[in-house]
Amino acid sequence: MTIISLKNINLHFPIYGANTRSLKKRIIHVTTGGMIEYDRNEVITVHALKNINLDIQEGDRVGLIGANGAGKSTLLRVLAGIYEPTSGDLDIKGKVSALLDVMLGLDQDSSGYENMTIRGILHGLKFHEIAQKKEEIAKFTELEDYLAMPIRTYSTGMQLRLAFAIATAVNPEIFVLDEVVGTGDAHFMHKAKERIDRLISNSKAVILASHDNHTIEMMCNKVIVMHAGEILYFGETKEGLEFYQNREL
Amino acid sequence: MKRNHLHLVFQDILQGFSSWRIWLLLGWRDINLRYRRSTLGPFWITLSMATMIYSMGFLYGKLFEIDLSVYYPYIATGMVTWTFISTLINDLVEALSKASGFIKQIKLPYTIYILRVLTSNFIVFLHNFLAIIPILLFFNTGITLLLIFVLLLNILLLLICCFCYGFIFSLLGTRFQDIKPIIGSVLQICFLLTPILWMPQMLPERFNYLASANPFYQLVNLIRDPLIGQMPSLFTYGYISLMILGGFIVMIFLLWRTRHRIAFWL
Repeated sequence: MTIISLKNINLHFPIYGANTRSLKKRIIHVTTGGMIEYDRNEVITVHALKNINLDIQEGDRVGLIGANGAGKSTLLRVLAGIYEPTSGDLDIKGKVSALLDVMLGLDQDSSGYENMTIRGILHGLKFHEIAQKKEEIAKFTELEDYLAMPIRTYSTGMQLRLAFAIATAVNPEIFVLDEVVGTGDAHFMHKAKERIDRLISNSKAVILASHDNHTIEMMCNKVIVMHAGEILYFGETKEGLEFYQNREL
Repeated sequence: MKRNHLHLVFQDILQGFSSWRIWLLLGWRDINLRYRRSTLGPFWITLSMATMIYSMGFLYGKLFEIDLSVYYPYIATGMVTWTFISTLINDLVEALSKASGFIKQIKLPYTIYILRVLTSNFIVFLHNFLAIIPILLFFNTGITLLLIFVLLLNILLLLICCFCYGFIFSLLGTRFQDIKPIIGSVLQICFLLTPILWMPQMLPERFNYLASANPFYQLVNLIRDPLIGQMPSLFTYGYISLMILGGFIVMIFLLWRTRHRIAFWL
């Protein structure tokens, strides 16, 4: 069954210069009939996704590879509903959970426990459901008493542990993730990998962006190779990785 | 497929309202965090509001030579309402940009972030309200049960109005980043132009429109009138109804044109 279907998806990403973001300058520009020009006023658009066509079946574990700036994160954000494409049809059957930048949205002044509540509510859980999860999350982070303290007192590694544990506490239907496990000590990396593996095996479909070919090879049955906003290859993992490596050379 | 479908706008608003858990929690937490390190907690707001009202009421009452039993309730109710409206507008301008961490991470209705700011400001309003209760009791302004009912209804109208215009302001504030200082100075002027410290009766008859045409005056009337023992005029209700209608249409229009682009602005 096709669970995600993208047809001719295009995304034009507007980049606003400082002048276009100023109301004063806008008004001066309009009232003077455009005679006073403050530099260039246009909004530059980047064609971030070009004619993306993609069908992902239930059970697929899709790896997303490509150089920096190839459009991987943008595509993931489109799948998560955060960016809406400029044109094209997007049909997703199921609830998408995204794990994009785990640190975003953590509240520095709240304690670890409070951050669990906030995230849980944002993901649509009820208060009693969060209460049930708290213990499990706390155990995974191994932060113990620190969890009652504001997280601005944490080190980056500790914050990452908490953020990761919270973000992965709910079982997603369609799981979209972007190189989450970047930093952390070896012990945590190992645990994080186990946890992701479990989530991946429990969800209907997974799209995972990574620069680590080994991870992709281990986890994914299909691969998308992206370059400059286009999909160059979509198919079997092994061939995809070969295709990508040959291109790089 | 065109992305700016009108039904997505209504879907955003409806889903936003029904996710009450999220905006109540976030709004409540905003207040909690702001006052976490003080012993009095949010009652600092009550205290500072009380100090301001009690001192200003005395001074301006004497300056204008108005009976304090009339002037004190008038300025107290006016100040509390004005403070609610002005801080709300100030906060709403940043409502979406401050939530960028959430917006870029998880797809939620934008309405949530507006309602969150509305919630936290309403909690502050209730604290401020405590400061004026002694005045209302002491000067016995003639509040009846009917007027309390009217007051509750009017608070609802005020909140609806704030929601519509708040959404507009937050969209403008996200798109145009220099709007915050502009709004700040405009609000200061509005404070002086609106009958809060002064009464419209002090104006010469032919300048009366200066007060009645002022939207802030009508909004303040919604809350102040029932508290000082009078029914708000029909004119006020007519004015407010048109304001809500206009605000609603502009809000829907702006959302329809820009909702799909908000994430790019952050």
